Amino acid sequence: MIFRTVQKWFQLNNWTIRYKLIFHFLLVSILPSLCLGLLTAWTVSGVIEKQVNEQTMQLIGNVNKSLNSYAGNIQNISYFISMNPDVQLFLERGHEAFEETEDQYRMSRFLQGFTTLYSEIAGILVVGADGQYFSNEMYARTSRSLTEDEWYKEAVRAKGIFQIIGHPANRNVTTHTHYKESEVVSVVRAILDPDTQQAKGVVLIDLKLRAIAETVRDVRLGKTGYLMVVSEEGERIYAPRNAALFDIPASILAGPSAGTFQAEAGGTELQMIYQRSPFTNWTTIGVFDVRDSAQEIRDINLYLVVFVFVVCMLGIAASYYLSHSISRPITQLSSHMRKIEEGNMNLRIPGERQDEVGLLGRSFNAMLQQIGRLLSQVREEQRLKREAELRSLQAHIQPHFLYNTLDTIQWLARKDGAKEAAEMVEALSKLFRIGLSKGQETIPLADELEHIRSYLKIQKTRYKDKLNYEIEAGAIRGDTLVLKLILQPVVENAIYHGIKERRGPGHIAIRVSERDGVLEFTVEDDGVGMSEERLAALRGTLESPMASGGETGAGGGLPVSPAASAGSSYGLRNVQERIRLTFGESYGISVESKEKQGTRVTIRHPIIDEKGLKAYGTHVESFDSR
Amino acid sequence: MKKLLLLYVVLIATLLGYLYMAFVRDDSGGLMSETTGLQGETDEKYVMVNFLAGIDYWKNVLKGFEDAAGALGVSVEYRGSMQYDVQEEVMVLEQVIARKPAGIAVSAIDSEALNAAIDKAVEAGIPVVMFDSDAPGSKAYSFLGTNNYNAGVTAARKMAELAGEAGKVVVITLPNQLNHQERTQGFEDTLRREFPAMELVSIEDGKGDQLVSERKASDMLEQYPDLKGIFVTEANGGVGAGNAVLREGKVGQVNIISFDTDKGTLDMVKSGTIAATLAQGTWNMGYWSLMHLFHLRHELTVPMSDWRSSGVPPLPEYVDTGITVVTPANVDYFYAK
Repeated sequence: MIFRTVQKWFQLNNWTIRYKLIFHFLLVSILPSLCLGLLTAWTVSGVIEKQVNEQTMQLIGNVNKSLNSYAGNIQNISYFISMNPDVQLFLERGHEAFEETEDQYRMSRFLQGFTTLYSEIAGILVVGADGQYFSNEMYARTSRSLTEDEWYKEAVRAKGIFQIIGHPANRNVTTHTHYKESEVVSVVRAILDPDTQQAKGVVLIDLKLRAIAETVRDVRLGKTGYLMVVSEEGERIYAPRNAALFDIPASILAGPSAGTFQAEAGGTELQMIYQRSPFTNWTTIGVFDVRDSAQEIRDINLYLVVFVFVVCMLGIAASYYLSHSISRPITQLSSHMRKIEEGNMNLRIPGERQDEVGLLGRSFNAMLQQIGRLLSQVREEQRLKREAELRSLQAHIQPHFLYNTLDTIQWLARKDGAKEAAEMVEALSKLFRIGLSKGQETIPLADELEHIRSYLKIQKTRYKDKLNYEIEAGAIRGDTLVLKLILQPVVENAIYHGIKERRGPGHIAIRVSERDGVLEFTVEDDGVGMSEERLAALRGTLESPMASGGETGAGGGLPVSPAASAGSSYGLRNVQERIRLTFGESYGISVESKEKQGTRVTIRHPIIDEKGLKAYGTHVESFDSR
Repeated sequence: MKKLLLLYVVLIATLLGYLYMAFVRDDSGGLMSETTGLQGETDEKYVMVNFLAGIDYWKNVLKGFEDAAGALGVSVEYRGSMQYDVQEEVMVLEQVIARKPAGIAVSAIDSEALNAAIDKAVEAGIPVVMFDSDAPGSKAYSFLGTNNYNAGVTAARKMAELAGEAGKVVVITLPNQLNHQERTQGFEDTLRREFPAMELVSIEDGKGDQLVSERKASDMLEQYPDLKGIFVTEANGGVGAGNAVLREGKVGQVNIISFDTDKGTLDMVKSGTIAATLAQGTWNMGYWSLMHLFHLRHELTVPMSDWRSSGVPPLPEYVDTGITVVTPANVDYFYAK
């Protein structure tokens, strides 16, 4: 279950682009730098550790060299002393050798020379095998012979080889200048008789520890530790004051002359690097805290951590910003598209970007433009289709041929003296002439009235007294332009559906007036009128003459006799269409009717002149804004 | 945006935490933490320059110098002329100055011959103090040593006590060395002022050498057979005089008052050849010389804000390291243990 949700969470494709980008940027920026940082730290610290250890070893080696050189010096001095004739005389015969004070003085000055030139020598003592001794600085504490001292015996045992005693302890010798035993390191050498190989005496030289201390302390180690010097037996020759106390394993002193080992002291783990000098047999040990690393490693670690942190912070900022800069235009694009999808076709994607998102937006805009164009094209085509239909209808209504033929019939009838026939044909001819009107859409009001007069004349001839009419133009000027043939269909309806259906004679009143700056034609008859359903159906048809369909005429789904509606609606619909097409929705036909009382049809028509007509143009929008 | 800010705050806090840790650990890092205050560096080298560099007398001064160096954690060097030679000491001093030490403690073989070199060192920024034998005309910051005049006074009074306030006495000294001059002066003035019955018949140059002094003493003993006392202003001469008196067999008659406490002199005091010797505070000379030099080098002495311009001395210009009269009664204390 949890696995599923986790898995789902990990479905990268379902993340928003923003989170995807952020995730990828973070991965790309942080992961490598982290790896790089770790790798570098690990490698570098390894390298530096090795180098520092080598350097420390080298420094310790140098310290050892210095110590060796001190020891070597002292050794040479001991040889020098033993070779001096005065010293040799003294060793042979003791103080009796000094006959003159000058001799003693000379030997004294000789030894003094060494302590002056080598100020690291605290004192020199020459002891003969008989216990007599000579020194400028040192003398026996007690009367016990110095030959019984441990250091003397050790020198004799070494058979003329230079011996380092270390810190003197419990010896019968004291130095006049109060050098404490912990402040000096003693070295001895037995002077042998070359013939007998017996020890004639021993030279004891005290070396000031300060000389060693200064050499050892002066060293700057790579790590923050200190150096100390221990003798062959593990005795501390020199150690700094606050050095930790720990046991040096005997294996170190006996084993290889250089290396490292670990020890524990006072709670801290210590690491030692040591090197023994074969000459002095002293071991110089560098003592460090195990956890300590060279300053360089610490520095590098610090830099790397700061580097990784900075990269992290920059990476986060950069990835947020970058992902934002990529995802935002996409998000904006998609939100715009959604808005347009919801219906607002007039919006366009804003922006001047040059990248893919910009291209998408512009393509989208172009597409919208194209759609708009196609829509208006369709509308235009539909309108043209309608107009073509209308025109062909009109063309149906008035062929030139018929008109010319009627003219001929009229002439023939007049010639034959058939006056009534000639008048009827004349009326019909006028009807057709005006109806044609040279193809013009609008005619003067006088012509329209003449047209309807002709029509009614013809109908009167047929219906005789059943049909009565009157036409009243009022004060309207005869040259006012009106759309042609708008009255005839209405009057036709009034006759066939109103007057004809009623008993007795009927009356049609046609009036033209001006109301609210608009021409109003009224055709009122006192015919049978319409039922309410028929009126409603008719009104419905008039409201949407296009939707009611072309020739079929049946629309709206209301139960109306198809024949009746086909006939009546068609003409009215045509007039309504033409008026509305030309002048707009606010003009057209309205019907009032009362059953058995009559019907009144009102046509609203604007008052126009030549110029005004041009201004109307074609009103295509009114078609599809329903 | 808020999420981003929060993340940033967390990151920066972590970084600061790490930095703090790194630097705090740094401060307490290492097994040996350096202490400040009176602690120097091992590469600070203070040099002691004197004359007759090999004689025993300086050994105690050097020990004091070394002990101070141990306490302060600095290193010392010891140089001097082997002979009693002005030119040699001047040359040694100049060599030392050329190595630019941290400070120099000088004992002047001649009260004026070293002035030029000392002044050069001081002007180069190297602190210089005098000990035991002063060069008052120089720019050295202070002098640590015996009040030699008082020593002479003390010696005169002891001599009078030993000689019964009457008789002939001679002085074997180093006539060109200021400290010896002062001792002689003190001795002479006191005799004249307080013990008119005593007569200072001669002032001899012992050259600081045992044999020379011995010869001079012998000559004096010959010249003045009723000589009551010899005042030797330094140790080698004292031993030499002692030897002369021993040879002439006049141990009880001639009272020798010597100076310093080297083994030979102490032995002679113990045996009675030398009646008394004046012990100087040699260890203190060395110890406090280094202290003065250290303080000067580290500019620890600031008596006022601009002491250089005002002429106020940064250190006590004269430190009296004291004088003790050593007689057979207390001579044992002066032997090394």
